[in-house]
Amino acid sequence: MPAGRPGPAAQSARRPPPLLPLLLLCVLGAPRAGSGAHTAVISPQDPTLLIGSSLQATCSVHGDPSGATAEGLYWTLNGRRLAPELSRVLNASTLALALANLNGSRQQSGDNLVCHARDGSILAGSCLYVGLPPEKPFNISCWSKNMKDLTCRWTPGAHGETFLHTNYSLKYKLRWYGQDNTCEEYHTVGPHSCHIPKDLALFTPYEIWVEATNRLGSARSDVLTLDILDVVTTDPPPDVHVSRVGGLEDQLSVRWVSPPALKDFLFQAKYQIRYRVEDSVDWKVVDDVSNQTSCRLAGLKPGTVYFVQVRCNPFGIYGSKKAGIWSEWSHPTAASTPRSERPGPGGGACEPRGGEPSSGPVRRELKQFLGWLKKHAYCSNLSFRLYDQWRAWMQKSHKTRNQDEGILPSGRRGTTRG
Amino acid sequence: MLPAAGEPAAGDSWGMLACLCAVLWHLPAVPALNRTGDPGPGPSIQKTYDLTRYLEHQLRSLAGTYLNYLGPPFNEPDFNPPRLGAETLPRATVNLDVWRSLNDKLRLTQNYEAYSHLLCYLRGLDRQAATAELRRSLAHFCTSLQGLLGSIAGVMAALGYPLPQPLPGTEPTRAPGPAHSDFLQKMDDFWLLKELQTWLWRSAKDFNRLKKKTQPPPAAVTLHLEAHGF
Repeated sequence: MPAGRPGPAAQSARRPPPLLPLLLLCVLGAPRAGSGAHTAVISPQDPTLLIGSSLQATCSVHGDPSGATAEGLYWTLNGRRLAPELSRVLNASTLALALANLNGSRQQSGDNLVCHARDGSILAGSCLYVGLPPEKPFNISCWSKNMKDLTCRWTPGAHGETFLHTNYSLKYKLRWYGQDNTCEEYHTVGPHSCHIPKDLALFTPYEIWVEATNRLGSARSDVLTLDILDVVTTDPPPDVHVSRVGGLEDQLSVRWVSPPALKDFLFQAKYQIRYRVEDSVDWKVVDDVSNQTSCRLAGLKPGTVYFVQVRCNPFGIYGSKKAGIWSEWSHPTAASTPRSERPGPGGGACEPRGGEPSSGPVRRELKQFLGWLKKHAYCSNLSFRLYDQWRAWMQKSHKTRNQDEGILPSGRRGTTRG
Repeated sequence: MLPAAGEPAAGDSWGMLACLCAVLWHLPAVPALNRTGDPGPGPSIQKTYDLTRYLEHQLRSLAGTYLNYLGPPFNEPDFNPPRLGAETLPRATVNLDVWRSLNDKLRLTQNYEAYSHLLCYLRGLDRQAATAELRRSLAHFCTSLQGLLGSIAGVMAALGYPLPQPLPGTEPTRAPGPAHSDFLQKMDDFWLLKELQTWLWRSAKDFNRLKKKTQPPPAAVTLHLEAHGF
């Protein structure tokens, strides 16, 4: 930065009041190209070209008293000097350039083609936009949070790049009401997404499409027709609590609350639970948890910390025949199973409140026996609850016995296997 | 944005800039600090100083990203294009003696006016093609710069100086002008960032100088350390 005398604008700025000249300059527009300071012109200015095409350009030096001629001028493209054989002197004041088989622009603001004087100073510049027209966007998917808004995502066409700035516009309209609307809030969930926050109608399908435009052309995706009610998602279930089941070392009880935003609407929620051991990355999923707000996980490892998450699907909302869209998983909740010496296998389904682990022929038979007993015997108080309490008691006494004996059993005692 | 469509005339964009400039001038002034019982302008001068340092830091990263977006040679370290359209940018560069001899009011006024203009130009940066992230960084920087303006206004109010106001009757008009090529626009952008950088360097020294002037002198022997140049 030269520390010489300040320009006229700055000088006038120091005399009070300094504003009028400055403001006027701002208002009337700054001196532009052609003010005399600009000593050359490149043609074409800011052209747009297809990849692989050729370009003929010229740099014309204006009448300059110092006698600058086309001799000694040279071209650079994106800061790199171009080979001399690409240029030729057309006449005393014009240098020509021939570029063939152009590559896509290095940056979306355009390639910088510059004409330099012999001493390297910049005489003129032109931005080259070299690329491809956009391809059809595809794979539009949308979802509505609690029927209040609509978020859509799409995949841009062009398996690589267009090299030019491509503008995407999401459009939508109600099927039988002709007015096109344009989505305004972009990049909400990634670079190719848009969010429609309000004024959405139910019970009539929407037609949705994406238009891609750049300097070389435009493309339009296929139209997606959807009903808001078919793409509803909701918040993850709040208040997920995981707790032990008495002293049972292979079970945990999960409780949650149905998502409040949709509680006033008729729907049969579906839930999914997933859980994993603290140090593992493998989740076990419990599917088909229909319309209940608790579940008992069984067949877990004793003395282990588990992380549990729940998510919700507002299935069949307002009579929609389709499944909704799964919510995000709830925040992981952790709990640990009580310690024990006996390992248990992994499970994969919810236990009914009674607390039956998923596997084990013994338990199956026991269940059948108890069912029969209920019908034919008088001890109607018999239930799995009682059985589990007995098991818990068995473990406790098993532990105390071992403490008394002063040894840790190797782990094959007991009649039940998880 | 179809090809072969003409680009908007330069006059339109400058007219819009002028309009924005006028709008900024008419922004409600920051209410004057309550001078009774307050510790004086010292803390707000310090705050302004700190803001210039923070903005300088923010600008470094913003400029780096922006110049990469403009592409080489704009992002090369020794790039020095001719200053063509940038004549209206407020220049931070000033003769050392002149700078030293500025009175407080003038010093503050120059800073305030400079950043008002620079903010105006920054907001007018029409960069449709920039990534969403770059546009966000720009918007964030504009907000911070607005904060600096407010802070300077606060110092001026605390010291009892009036905020610079636009002269009545100056209407923004659209001026016809030759088409402003994209390359020229890139050069303008480059100089805008450069000038912003220089102003922030200079402002740090301006406010440091003001800070020293308004500090109560310590009881012991005072050592005057003059700032030598920039």
